[in-house]
Amino acid sequence: MAEADNSNLRQFTDGLVANNPTLVQLLGMCPTLAVTNSVENALVMGAAVIFVLVMSNLITSALRNRLQPHVRILIFTLTIATFVTIADLALKAYVFEVSRKLGPFVPLIIVNCIIIARAEVVASRQGVARSVADAFGCGLGFTLALCLLGVIRELLGSGGITVMRDWGWSWHLDPKVFEPHAWVIMIMPPGAFLTLGIVIGVVNHLRSRAAAKGGA
Amino acid sequence: MKKFIEQSWLILTLGVVFAVLLAGAQTSLAPRIDANLTRALNEAIGQVVPGVVKTESLTVPGYDRAVYKCLGRDGQLVGWAIDASGAGFADKIRLVAGISPDTTRITGLKVIENVETPGLGNKIADESWARQFRGLEAGRRMVVQKRPPAAGRNEVQAITGATISSRAVADIVSDALDRVRPGLAGLR
Repeated sequence: MAEADNSNLRQFTDGLVANNPTLVQLLGMCPTLAVTNSVENALVMGAAVIFVLVMSNLITSALRNRLQPHVRILIFTLTIATFVTIADLALKAYVFEVSRKLGPFVPLIIVNCIIIARAEVVASRQGVARSVADAFGCGLGFTLALCLLGVIRELLGSGGITVMRDWGWSWHLDPKVFEPHAWVIMIMPPGAFLTLGIVIGVVNHLRSRAAAKGGA
Repeated sequence: MKKFIEQSWLILTLGVVFAVLLAGAQTSLAPRIDANLTRALNEAIGQVVPGVVKTESLTVPGYDRAVYKCLGRDGQLVGWAIDASGAGFADKIRLVAGISPDTTRITGLKVIENVETPGLGNKIADESWARQFRGLEAGRRMVVQKRPPAAGRNEVQAITGATISSRAVADIVSDALDRVRPGLAGLR
């Protein structure tokens, strides 16, 4: 029993760090580039992806013994599309402004490779507990990676960070050191590529150092 | 028939279950979403017609979208707000245009829905660009130029790198005004 718990926990932390879907597996790059222009967008996108990933893994794993080969992908996609639609409706109802800013990228979660990859690799083969742990791990890993990029881009590109305008209160971080000229390019597509590339470079460097230490 | 059921029962069952889930989500969330859309629209009207306190929706013959009669604090007419939509560069653009009580001048413009290119076309939603429309004549077509607007010619300057989006907005407003103003003339 302890071993099973351990391996579920392992699956969770793997998705968070060692096998981070954005920075290690390099999946779902398109929404990563598009929605990290502000921390608020990144957080809401992350929340939506966690919800869809967990529900998708849960259902796929529960049905894993009944998946006939010729309908597997169809069932994955059907499940994902349903929960993305539900998530989209929920966002429009509860965080309307952010939902408008995210625009087409919420429906595009349906084709986010992370979700279908985890369905294929984990959920269709492992038990429900393991699959859900994986979903939370990968979902949180994705959210953390997005927030990291979002903090960098919003601080440098807008001069400060503002979160949660939709719910009445807003948390506003405004280090005056970045005024009066913020790097507007950081909140535009070139800034996205630059930030992502540099962060992945740093992550790769840290990983190879850790591997070298582990090997020696 | 048996083979068909054997191969597709799961898909069919899931289809029904998910359809029910979606219907449930849609029904329970629709009121909130509609309230959000109405709030966004009212905010936009507040920004394009100065002094508006209350609006009355009305149908103008010859125009299929909503037009709002804007009333001030003492119930007097302070302007009209027109919901307009049309083709933009990427997809549809939806905006609210405010005109003066005598329908001769534009009092404001706000783009409320667009999916134009981020960083370029979607600047049409910025107040600083839309402000150019204030004071223009509602009876003449607006012209979008790639240089600062000349006085008296009903011109606005295009967004650099987003001429098509800019022209789309001007066309949408001009078309809507052409269709609405004659109908409003009878209601003033």
